[in-house]
Amino acid sequence: MWPHMRAAYNLARWLVRNDQDAEDIVQESFLKAFKAQASFRGTEAKTWMLSIVRNTAMDFRRRDKSGIAVPLGEEGREPKDDSPDPERVLLDQSRREQVRHAISHLEPEFREVIVLREIEGLPYKEIASVLGIPMGTVMSRLSRARNLLLVELGGTKLEGEVQHDLP
Amino acid sequence: MTCREAGPLLHARLDNELDMAGAASIDVHLSGCRACAAQYAAMERLHEEITAADLACAPGIAFERKLCDQFLGEKKSPSRFWSWNWLNASVMTAAAIGVVVLLLSVPRLRIGGDTEAIGAEILDNHLRALQAVHQVDVPSSDQHTVKPWFQGKTDFSPPVPDLSAHDFMLVGGRLEVIHQQPAAAIVYRRRQHVIDLYVSPSAGADSKTELRELGGYHLLHWMQDNMSYWAVSDVDPNDLRMFADLIRTI
Repeated sequence: MWPHMRAAYNLARWLVRNDQDAEDIVQESFLKAFKAQASFRGTEAKTWMLSIVRNTAMDFRRRDKSGIAVPLGEEGREPKDDSPDPERVLLDQSRREQVRHAISHLEPEFREVIVLREIEGLPYKEIASVLGIPMGTVMSRLSRARNLLLVELGGTKLEGEVQHDLP
Repeated sequence: MTCREAGPLLHARLDNELDMAGAASIDVHLSGCRACAAQYAAMERLHEEITAADLACAPGIAFERKLCDQFLGEKKSPSRFWSWNWLNASVMTAAAIGVVVLLLSVPRLRIGGDTEAIGAEILDNHLRALQAVHQVDVPSSDQHTVKPWFQGKTDFSPPVPDLSAHDFMLVGGRLEVIHQQPAAAIVYRRRQHVIDLYVSPSAGADSKTELRELGGYHLLHWMQDNMSYWAVSDVDPNDLRMFADLIRTI
């Protein structure tokens, strides 16, 4: 499990967007993995570990939404407001911050595929295994997520709006 | 192929998920369609930007230590100690490494070095470097800074090729002592994975690249031009082989 600790932390941190919850999730996931190791039959320890992290993070979010855990300022350092202050964007932070901000503000289902693909570098098959969804869904979510990022970062228009040369 | 058909496959092409025939048919479409080519270029730029932004979130050192202690603490009993994947965590302690070295080296001891024992020592060194605040003595992504740094500190000159085109980014170098011998450790990074390449002089015939796994990490060892090479990382073993092949041929 240990070689996957950093990947586990990275995924947790991106999903819950604050350090303390990410640490709790990783710790809880390690405990779960430790307890369940006897029943683990697969060969892909990494995807197994990441799927535990992801499910644990989902539980955290649900608890959070129902108001049971962590009442205030849960979103950590990320501003809740989705409409960026134009002045702030102008003054902006570096491009790195823009990219980080854009990914961080994707909906969770799009954020997780971007993190697993673009940051962790997982192949589609492993992403499908971590998220428990078919490969086709991985591809469509990734496609949608990238388009959202491109729009947000001023890269290009959405696919549907592009004028193509060919029919 | 129409744009509608090509659309979803552009992503698979970018992510190297297509077989050769599939990739070729997309490339044909891209060469004839400006809109899809522009879309593809934008996706490529996005991928490069995310990679360049280096957005992986690393855990704090205090947390990493705490977690390490917690899960090592549960591994003290001998029956659990050897259970499959927890060996991964166990190797984090020098004590565990000591046991591994002892167990592995006793039946295989031979004059001129014991690769099993050296492998364990290399892994131990790699893990300690990962835990440390600074992983390199000379931090630089420039091979012309790292290579000269070793001059005067070692009586040999390790190869420090620029492999950035292959997505192995040079991080820097440090000096180590492996098996009572000075060794150059050259540090690369592939995505968020750190690869340590250990190089030290050692008389012997050139050998093929040997892969071994220890505690969830992969080690590659080979001899070339009277130098001993060890590459160690938690990166995908195929990536590590690619890395070794690049080092060997450059």
